[in-house]
Amino acid sequence: MNVLAWCVAAWLLGVGIYGIVTSRHYVHLIGCMTVCQSATYVLLLGIGFRWGAGPPIFYDHPPGTPAVDPVMQALVLTDIVVGAAMTALLLAIALQVHKRRGTLDPQHLRPLRPRE
Amino acid sequence: MTMAGPELAHQLTPLAVLLPLGVAFLLLALSHWLPPRTADVTALVIALGLMVLCGWLGAESWHGPIVHWFGGWTPPVSGKPDVMLGIAFSVDPASAAVAAFCALLFAGSFVFAWGYFDKVHAHFHVLMLLFLAAMIGFCLTRDVFNLFVWFELMGIAAFALTAYPLGKSSLEGAFNFTIANALGSFLMLAGVGLLYARTGTLDFVTMGRIIASLPPDPVIAGGFCLVATALLTKAAIVPFNMWLSDAHAVAPSPVSVIFSGVMVSLGLFGLLKLVAIVFAGDPRVMMLVHIGLFWLGVATAVVGGLMAWAQRHLKRLLAFSTISHLGVMLIAVASVSAIGTEGFLVYLVGHGLVKGALFMIAGVLLARFNSVDEIELYGEGRSIWPAGIAMGVAGLLLGGLPWGLLHDATDSVHAGSHGLAGVVAIVAGTALTGAAVLRATARIFLRWSGVPGVERVAPTEREREKGDRPLWLMLLPCAVMLAIALLPADLAESFVHRAATGLVARAIPHAGGGTQAAAITFALTILIPAASLLRHRPTRRLARVAAHVETAPFYGLHVLHSGRVTDYVVWMMVGLAVLAGWLKFG
Repeated sequence: MNVLAWCVAAWLLGVGIYGIVTSRHYVHLIGCMTVCQSATYVLLLGIGFRWGAGPPIFYDHPPGTPAVDPVMQALVLTDIVVGAAMTALLLAIALQVHKRRGTLDPQHLRPLRPRE
Repeated sequence: MTMAGPELAHQLTPLAVLLPLGVAFLLLALSHWLPPRTADVTALVIALGLMVLCGWLGAESWHGPIVHWFGGWTPPVSGKPDVMLGIAFSVDPASAAVAAFCALLFAGSFVFAWGYFDKVHAHFHVLMLLFLAAMIGFCLTRDVFNLFVWFELMGIAAFALTAYPLGKSSLEGAFNFTIANALGSFLMLAGVGLLYARTGTLDFVTMGRIIASLPPDPVIAGGFCLVATALLTKAAIVPFNMWLSDAHAVAPSPVSVIFSGVMVSLGLFGLLKLVAIVFAGDPRVMMLVHIGLFWLGVATAVVGGLMAWAQRHLKRLLAFSTISHLGVMLIAVASVSAIGTEGFLVYLVGHGLVKGALFMIAGVLLARFNSVDEIELYGEGRSIWPAGIAMGVAGLLLGGLPWGLLHDATDSVHAGSHGLAGVVAIVAGTALTGAAVLRATARIFLRWSGVPGVERVAPTEREREKGDRPLWLMLLPCAVMLAIALLPADLAESFVHRAATGLVARAIPHAGGGTQAAAITFALTILIPAASLLRHRPTRRLARVAAHVETAPFYGLHVLHSGRVTDYVVWMMVGLAVLAGWLKFG
């Protein structure tokens, strides 16, 4: 199980990076970023996972019941929030770039250009 | 009831981040009702207040770090000494001093930006205060995940501030900046997860103790690689450096002051703290730091210097000069020694002051002439000659003027770095960046110019910044910062020594030759621009061949800095592979 989670995380990171590197559209590129981010979620949840353990909520379980590691879940939750903010910001930037340059192809966009 | 100093400091530690966060929240909530200038005044007062607070915390931590566990989760929790549930801030003199310096630079930037952002309510100040809170939190925390959260907050505030002008270039620069740094932060989170998987804690000190007791472990080495990649990306170390020249060149100048002044060097400060506290007990990681990171520093100093020399857009020139100086700082960090750390801390402050001042002068030029292109602005600067004097002084300081903080810091870096490569890189980086700034000063303010060489084909653009601000108000913070940078480092010698040894106590024999290196550096800083300003058009065959040979490597470097974010990500992965490969096979 654990090995599977590590392999899935590595695979997601790999395809995400491949997608970013070969991207021809900003929105596609932003999507690939979220794929990379999912890799970290899978990795973290895999690290916190324990066989035969329940959720780390002790409302109706006696304390001491085996539970998965809540720290990792807290990390993932925090990062989902940050990731959402980042994606929103990137999409807003992409929208503004499209208004001004008329294209979203990373191959045709660069911040400063040499004089002709 | 009166409290003893350390107890009071312990209670007030959270204020260092709560104050800017709370005020930012209030400013945002009330921005539509507040009278104009309230945000300017509030932000300036808060920045100065935080500078005093952090400075005082640093003084209080003289005899030992002040540790504040949030929410009362002081270990041992419920009688179990091995359970760590809380998140702590730990104030030591070095961290507090760096945090106080961040606040000082923000105060300077707020004065410089007075009236710049009239039309956008208080949004600029809100983002800047968030940015400052993130930097102070980044300096003071001793929890790896908390470090990541401040790193992210710093990033988000910075991305939004870069995109602020909504110009073509600033948007594209912000996009590249965001993608590179966001990818770095994902890698950092994965690294934090790996470290937690092996050590079961996120606390710096406990993690360091556990790592020292474990046999060499590939998971911990991998965790270090990932976290280091993120911090080196923030610090723009070759080959993670590509985003910086885009972002710093196009961000509004008050923001670039902060970016180049402290944001990037904080990446190295975080790396130094992690190496010193968490990874000191892992011999493989320490080998990577001593040798691998040293060579990355050497490459960064040289590449940054060459690229700075080959620019004509002043902000882009300064951005590459920042890269070069970060290389020098990484050489200091890689020595992981008391003297290297002393050099690094003073260098961080000296470089931040000088680079901040230079970006302010670029801002003055933008406000007056709507351009920062040194060739277009030939002779234009004569009407604002005080800015020219400031720029000349800053250029000399950057290029190793044997006086002031940067010079003393460079001496310490030399003393901590053994081997010829380090000396050559420091001399080349310092001289080339100082020479580039002096060349631009001479063109803009003195009307001296030879035929432009490699800089002629560099990217450039006209842009516009709000121009009706009084010149003296823009030059005031710049002059104050340069005056501080001109102070000798000896004034704070005992503090710097205490701060450095508080982080890294390892004493090493000092390398000699710093004085000769400093003399050579300064001579080159004067001779290189002099040669460039006397240059004639190459007419004879031999001269044409020489000019061609001279420009060829610069063309190559220009091509590598393509401005395409997809290329940047490839370079980041190459860097990560180099770090990981070094750990595996080196």
